[in-house]
Amino acid sequence: MVQQVPTRRFVCSLDELPPGGMKLVDVGKFGVGVYNVHGALYAIVNYCSHEGAPLCLGLIGGTNESAPQSPDRMRRVRDGQIVRCPWHNWEYDVTTGQNVADPRRRVRTYQVDVSDGEVYLTA
Amino acid sequence: MTPIIDANVQPHFRYNAEIRRYLPDAHKLRSIPDVEQQWYQAPGGDYRQDLYGENYPGSDPETVSRHLFSQGVDYAILNPLTRGNIADYLLNSRICAAVNDWLLDRWLEPDSTNRFRGTMRVNPEDPKGAVAEIERLATHPKLVQVGVPMQSREPYGKPMFEPIWEAAAAHGLPVAVHINGGNGVDHPPTFAGHAHTYPGYAAFMPLNYFVHLATLIVEGVFGRHPRLKFVFADGGYDILTPLMWRLDTFWLSMRDQTPWVDRYPSEYLPGHVRFCSSAFDGPVDAGKMQRWMDFTGKSDLLMYGSSYPHWSTSTPGVMAEGLDGPQRDKVLWRNASELYGLAVRESAL
Repeated sequence: MVQQVPTRRFVCSLDELPPGGMKLVDVGKFGVGVYNVHGALYAIVNYCSHEGAPLCLGLIGGTNESAPQSPDRMRRVRDGQIVRCPWHNWEYDVTTGQNVADPRRRVRTYQVDVSDGEVYLTA
Repeated sequence: MTPIIDANVQPHFRYNAEIRRYLPDAHKLRSIPDVEQQWYQAPGGDYRQDLYGENYPGSDPETVSRHLFSQGVDYAILNPLTRGNIADYLLNSRICAAVNDWLLDRWLEPDSTNRFRGTMRVNPEDPKGAVAEIERLATHPKLVQVGVPMQSREPYGKPMFEPIWEAAAAHGLPVAVHINGGNGVDHPPTFAGHAHTYPGYAAFMPLNYFVHLATLIVEGVFGRHPRLKFVFADGGYDILTPLMWRLDTFWLSMRDQTPWVDRYPSEYLPGHVRFCSSAFDGPVDAGKMQRWMDFTGKSDLLMYGSSYPHWSTSTPGVMAEGLDGPQRDKVLWRNASELYGLAVRESAL
C-alpha cells in the first residue's frame, strides 16, 4: 500500500470553528476531526481504535475522575476535550489521542495550525 | 514430598445442640436451626457417608487430624459453618461468637500438632457486632481469617458492609466467603431463581461469588482498602475468566460512572482475591487445565481446599491433575502459605 505523504491543507476560517466546535475533514480513508478546545486546535482520526466507528461523530465533553471527599465521590474534569465514541462509549482525549480508561489504546493525532485566521490541517 | 495446605476444612459440632453450651444464658432457650436443615441436600446427607457415626462427620479433631495429616497435609484452615443468615441478627451475632468460642475451645487451643488454623465467623447483617467480634479475636494467633456466608441480602460491595472489611483489613485478616445457610433469610440460589433439584443448586450456587466480587471491585472497596483480601471458598475459579472479560469490557465503555476504578477490573485480582478449589471446578479433560489456569492469572489465585468432610471432598492428587510443576506448587501450598503466613516444613521442599 502506498503511504500518502502528509499534506498541509486548508480546513476553514477560524470563525467557522469556534470553541467547542469540530470540523470533519474528508482526508484519508476515514476522515479527520479538527476540534477547537477552549481556543486551542487539535485533530484526531475519525476512526475508533476499538471497532472502527466514526469516532468524531460522538459527543464532545468532559469526563469524570475520582474525588473521594465529594458526596458522589467524583468530579467533572477535562471539559470540552473528551470525545465519546458513538458506538460503545469509549472515551478519548482529543488533545492527546489517548483513551481515558487505557491510555495504551490510542487514536492517531494530527498537526493543526492557524495562519491569518485560517485553520490548516497536516494530514 | 510436596507440602500441602488444605485451605478449606469444615469442623463440625459433635451434635447440633453442642452450640448451646457456648451461647450466653440470655439466648439458651432460643430456637436455632440445625446444621443440615435446608431443602437442598445431597442424597444420603451433605457429608461423606462413611464418616457418619455417633457424632457428626468432621467433629472429632483426632479423626480429622488422622485423615488429613497422615495423608500429607501440613496445615488445615478450618472454616466452621454457623446457621447462615437468620432473621434475628442480634441472636445470629451471638451464634457466630459461640461458634468462635467453640472453635477455640474444641479445636485450636487443645491442638498439639499446631497444624490447625481457624476462621472467625462474623455476622454481616450486624455490621457493628461483626466489627466488635473482629476486635475481640483478631490478635489470636491461630485465627487467620474472618468468615461470612455466601448468602447475603445485598452484595458485599455495598457500603453497609465496608466497616467489617475495613476492620478485617486493618488486622491483616482475609475474608472467607463460604456457602452457609438455607434458613430462609436468603436470595434464591441461582441468578434466575430456585433450582429444581440439588444438582442445579450445587452446580450454580457457588457462582454467586461473582456478584460479591464484581461489587467489591466496581464500588471501589478494594481500591479504598489496599490490604483487603477475599477468599471464595466454594470454588468457581474456573468461570472467573469469562466473567472478568465481561467486567473489563464494560469498564472500557462506562468507566466514567465509577471513576475510582482506575485500572482494568481484572487487575484487582492478584492483590485482593483467592479461591479454594472445589470438586466441581475445571475442565473435565485435564489436558486443558494448564492453559485455562493461566488465563486471568488463575494459577496465582487458587488454593487447594478439600471441603472435608463434605460429600464432594477432593484429594490433593485429583486437584493437581493436569497442572504443570509451578502451578501445582502454587495451588497445593504456595498461594495459601503466602496468604496466611504459614511456613511449610523445610523437609517437604
